[in-house]
Amino acid sequence: MWLTVVDKNITRDADGIGSSTSGTGYDRRTILKTATAGAGLTSIAGCLGGGSGGSGSVTLGAMNILSGFASLYGEEAERGYDLAVEEINNNGGIDGNDVEVIVRDTEADSGTATQQMTSLIEEDGVDGLMGLDSSGVAQNIAPQIKQSQMPLMITHAATPYVTSPEGESEDSVGNDYVFRCSNTVAHDMYGAAQVASELDATDWATIGPDYAFGYDTWAYFQAFAEGMGVDANFTTEQYPPLATSDYSPYISSILDAEPDAVITPLWGSDLTTFLGQAEDSGWFDQIDHTLFSVGMGTDLPSDGSPLPEGEWASTRYDPFVPDTEENNTFLETYMEEYDTLPTYNAEGAYRAVYLYKKAIEEGGSTNAGDLVDQFSGMQHTGPVGEYEFTETNQASVASIWGEVTYSDEYESNVLEPVERYEAAPADVRGALEGSDLPPGL
Amino acid sequence: MNPVNIFPLIGVGDVVIGLSLGSRLFLIAVGLSLIFGVLGVLNFAHGALYMLGAYFALSVVTNVVDNFWLAIVVGAIAVGIVGAAIEVVTIRPLYERAESDLDQLIVTFGFVLITHEAVRFIWGSQPYSTPMPDALNFTMSIGGSQFTAYRLFVVIAAALVMVGLWLFIKRTYFGSLVRGTSSDREMASMLGVDVPRLYTAVFFAGSFLAGLGGALAAPMQSIGPNLGEAVIIDAFIIVVIGGLGSLSGAFVGAMFVGMMQSIVPQFFDAGSIAVPFLAMVIVLLLKPEGLFGGIGE
Repeated sequence: MWLTVVDKNITRDADGIGSSTSGTGYDRRTILKTATAGAGLTSIAGCLGGGSGGSGSVTLGAMNILSGFASLYGEEAERGYDLAVEEINNNGGIDGNDVEVIVRDTEADSGTATQQMTSLIEEDGVDGLMGLDSSGVAQNIAPQIKQSQMPLMITHAATPYVTSPEGESEDSVGNDYVFRCSNTVAHDMYGAAQVASELDATDWATIGPDYAFGYDTWAYFQAFAEGMGVDANFTTEQYPPLATSDYSPYISSILDAEPDAVITPLWGSDLTTFLGQAEDSGWFDQIDHTLFSVGMGTDLPSDGSPLPEGEWASTRYDPFVPDTEENNTFLETYMEEYDTLPTYNAEGAYRAVYLYKKAIEEGGSTNAGDLVDQFSGMQHTGPVGEYEFTETNQASVASIWGEVTYSDEYESNVLEPVERYEAAPADVRGALEGSDLPPGL
Repeated sequence: MNPVNIFPLIGVGDVVIGLSLGSRLFLIAVGLSLIFGVLGVLNFAHGALYMLGAYFALSVVTNVVDNFWLAIVVGAIAVGIVGAAIEVVTIRPLYERAESDLDQLIVTFGFVLITHEAVRFIWGSQPYSTPMPDALNFTMSIGGSQFTAYRLFVVIAAALVMVGLWLFIKRTYFGSLVRGTSSDREMASMLGVDVPRLYTAVFFAGSFLAGLGGALAAPMQSIGPNLGEAVIIDAFIIVVIGGLGSLSGAFVGAMFVGMMQSIVPQFFDAGSIAVPFLAMVIVLLLKPEGLFGGIGE
């Protein structure tokens, strides 16, 4: 184990010194890694009396939620990483080197995520980072990523502020090192406003988690609805804390306001708890339409209360759309391996590993500066379809919404009919013009 | 907002929701309070035992026999046995240590982590839900709000537990041993009470109550590995407000926190968390032993 780590650090340090973007030839990370390599070498010299390691490898660090109310997301991401690693290593690796992914638990907490990030960079000597499920965590990590000068490919966290360049708004923390290959809240709400425009509903309400993601979802939904001329009144909003065990008081407040439709970004086991209690309270009899913006992330593999048929849900990736060979192959392989439909978090994680593969092979280096250069403006095709990274490092992916329908064939909910709203950056920016919200793409 | 204007906004439905929330909280807080009152052990693993109750009930219903009532009983007893085993094997050796409070805290916290990982290993991380018993799976309209009959049943069950436990502690021979031992362990021992066995029995009873609470809550919320963590903080707030070791304190504290969680969010978004904490701070400052004192009170 020691041999591999040390060998890897030496290889990458050679890259870092030779092609640093800092101007001096050395940056903080390079020095740290050199020190780590030195310490490692000293240990080996002491313990083994010398000797060198085997062939090089690429090590990627992943940070996901593996415990707590949303641990399911981390487990799905792990499946995506594992599948990509297996495929890549069975097909020649990355430039002939095997790839390894080290997955760490953020516990949906910024402090823990920071510790994991530091440990992955300084102890494991990873070549790049990926993952992140929580918007709040992503927002706190992004500035530290810049300090560490280590590329991060976000695969799930959806706050637009991490791909909104610093200075664009008060909360913007986007920078050269942070990329995202999945959707943002702006994408999702752009599609949600289009769904809203087609529904027979005027009075809208929301119930969302009591942190940035819940508030952002409602703010963007209102902004897009107004920007796109949707005939909508915004009546009431409820923000229960994360891991609430009984939503009844919040459900009761929403029902008292008698909205026609509700949009909810509740997620993880919170969504499962909410669904059961909403059903018991007569929610689905009284509210004409409920839009679940994170619904299909957990609904597919869940044994809990599923999303009711006929309601609306968004996903960042749909297993059946687009109908391309790449997507069909991914679906088939994933189902063979895990016996369930892939969720968007699994697909995002899977794709992130392939993005690193492409960047390393095309740039011929695992140096952070080279990876960042490669990711910038990169065009890529994955199961989700074709996309490219915009000038804010955000993937130009579509917004996908559909009606929840149970599939006997897959013994699971699917979206049918499903609609892809091509959220072109110019269109999204145009729809947000009247608001002070950054598009984040 | 003028306080006078608040009361007309609180409907019957809000009160029923508050009672329902309070009942579930009582079922977890009472076992925690009982164990502390008699053994002096602050059982951090109590939330984990509550979670196990939900998982055991789920497993019985889905894998053994589709009988919810049997699942509740099996779940509660199984958790009681787990709790008793924890007490005998890991907590009993610590009673005589000089720093036993801290050691007990660390040991019980260790069981939080062990249980969490064991649950993830056995059941996975995905959320589960348990179907409600058919007999109570219908909705009733109270004060303009809909409730399942099951939710109301849990309120009644909590009240029955309160009364039953109170009678047991106050009126039975075993109850008198429990009260006596909680007052003076050495004296009870000298008078012939088998204290170690009594401690194990009380730990079993406290754990049984946690398991019962978890099993009863299972049809009303999703079951996941974080279920215990979500409730243990509320339980601690309740027993601090009511008084550690007090049954009636646990009841009053639970109903207070339940009502706050039901009513306050209508006026302040984060108030459902802040108000119980604020109440706890006030109680700690003005009456550190809690509103009620001692076992059996």
